[in-house]
Amino acid sequence: MTLAGVAAVARQEFTVRIRKGRWRWLLGAWFLVLLALTALLRESVLRAGRGVQPFRGAVMYGGLMLIVLSMALLVAPALTAQSVNGDRERGTLATLQVTRLSPLEIMLGKFGAAWGTMLVFLALTAPLVLWCVANGGVDAMSVVVVSVVMAVLLGTVCAVSLGLSSVLSRTTTSGVLSYLVVFALTIGTLVVFGLSSIATQETVTRPCAVEPPPPSAVEGQPAQVPDDCSFTTTRVRTDRTWLILAANPFVVLADAAPHRERCDDRTPQPASGAVRGPDVEPVEYCDNGLDPLGGIGRTVRDLRKPHVPEQPMTSSYLPPPARGKAVWPTGLTVNLVLGLGMLAVTVRQLRTPYRELPRGQRVA
Amino acid sequence: MQGTGISATAVARSFGEVHAVRSMDLRAAAGEVTALVGPNGAGKTTLLLILATLLAPDAGTIRIAGYDPVTDPDDVRARMGWSPDVFGLYDGLTAREYLEFFGAAYRMTADQSRTRARELLALARLEEHADHPVHVLSRGQKQRLGLMRALVHDPEVLVLDEPASGLDPRSRVELRDLLRSFAAAGAAVLVSSHALADLEELAHHVVFVDAGRTVGEHRLDALPDAVRPRPWRLRALDADRLVAALRRAGADHETAGSAGVDVALTGDEEAADLLARLVADGVRVVSMAPVGGALEATFLELTEETR
Repeated sequence: MTLAGVAAVARQEFTVRIRKGRWRWLLGAWFLVLLALTALLRESVLRAGRGVQPFRGAVMYGGLMLIVLSMALLVAPALTAQSVNGDRERGTLATLQVTRLSPLEIMLGKFGAAWGTMLVFLALTAPLVLWCVANGGVDAMSVVVVSVVMAVLLGTVCAVSLGLSSVLSRTTTSGVLSYLVVFALTIGTLVVFGLSSIATQETVTRPCAVEPPPPSAVEGQPAQVPDDCSFTTTRVRTDRTWLILAANPFVVLADAAPHRERCDDRTPQPASGAVRGPDVEPVEYCDNGLDPLGGIGRTVRDLRKPHVPEQPMTSSYLPPPARGKAVWPTGLTVNLVLGLGMLAVTVRQLRTPYRELPRGQRVA
Repeated sequence: MQGTGISATAVARSFGEVHAVRSMDLRAAAGEVTALVGPNGAGKTTLLLILATLLAPDAGTIRIAGYDPVTDPDDVRARMGWSPDVFGLYDGLTAREYLEFFGAAYRMTADQSRTRARELLALARLEEHADHPVHVLSRGQKQRLGLMRALVHDPEVLVLDEPASGLDPRSRVELRDLLRSFAAAGAAVLVSSHALADLEELAHHVVFVDAGRTVGEHRLDALPDAVRPRPWRLRALDADRLVAALRRAGADHETAGSAGVDVALTGDEEAADLLARLVADGVRVVSMAPVGGALEATFLELTEETR
């Protein structure tokens, strides 16, 4: 394995991609659509309460990143899902395999070109990110973390598409399957999480609340407290199913972004006290519940929270339970394992001389 | 000749139920052009893929430039150039960039690749098109560029599957001269082709294959004698006198339009006898040769035997 070999393949792939497609149009359209959506986000946030305004940019940034990720997840398979079988169809793979390039170099070169292309798309959003920063409230750490996690997630999709293109002989099949994987990771995880949470819900029997004896009790008679009062109810155990949701790229991205405290969690609200609404300007930045990244992150962490044994229902005040642990390390690991696994598959599929040939696959 | 050329012994390869190669033997010596000839589906392409380090054989022993393509593919690749029957070029790259890319793929430095690409573009008469994208090249030019790709690393063994397909007559002549000069410089050249007339002028040695087996291995100057009648084509200044003379000689003949008259003959001996008779009869014969050339005659003979 040499770096020069990888670079040669990547350069060749990149040059062919750039000269063949209508890149100026594609990249231009990508930028303009995102520009329009950022402007729309800004207009919406401008209409939120006064309290949000100093941190408007953070809300815009969160929304923009979710949009960028959705669009990039649509672009990545289209650019990558024909890398290997497309070359085979065009008769350019075998001539590459008989050179001294190793399967690893060919794979890394192809992956590098695909991933690099996605990073170009990502880099194009930089002016829009700056616009968000100019609107205030975006912290640098968040931008760094979100960019890195986004790059890794797109790398995963590129790796999956590349792997599928090496396993399947038809380009349409690998294209469709790549999109199905993206669908499974995004919408599929949501659906499976929802359904499995319902399917695994438990039936529990809870004791009745202990009532004080009625004041109008007839003298001489003890208060009537039922001996074994209880009722049955169901409860979902998302502490067991959250893992499904963790693989979702949107969840990983949102949860990885540094969390801010929610405004109402900061000071416990007295029952009769003034509710801190979006119209009250906070002293320092807290999340009013508008930041989409923070919202998603908090939701999944809550779902992950360990199960607390049921307590008898009382009317007394219970302190809000602690937040669940971060979900993104698990989710990112799942994605990384998937991506690296598919890269390994690609190398295996490129290794010659072939002993076994999949049905319908030509060598050259 | 250990360490040079190609030697393959008892090579077999099947794809599921299909036995593409049952038992093939082949020698291609350094300094010679060896032709691989056989009908469609004989297993030629499969054998060439095995030699090209792309397909592992189920059985058999192979040495290419002294190395085993199964266990030491990289050593083989460093010394072998291969071009398949159908291949693609990278749309978008120029002819020069294409060759320079393969230079890098064969672990040459950027300088070496540049120099080599220039040499090869000159050799293929593609200098004017050096900086044109490859997809605007004509079919023959693409074919030539593909052949140059196989030569990028100056290999000592060259394996070419149908290199002449799509070439015009002039390019075929050039290809023949190129491969001959390549062999003269000490390389082993193995060529599969259906253009038997071309091979006849090109090859030193021919290997006939049919139904996955080697059915004959001959030197071009010592092809086996025919045992069955084959058509020979005769042309004379006066076609009517020729036909009349053939009738008198009792030869089994058939006119082939303006191309001449075809006569069924078995072997060179019989042909020489007939020619002598015709000349003696006063027919002014212009040409007489087996239809499709000696190689085709042998090819048809050998493949018929195994049917």
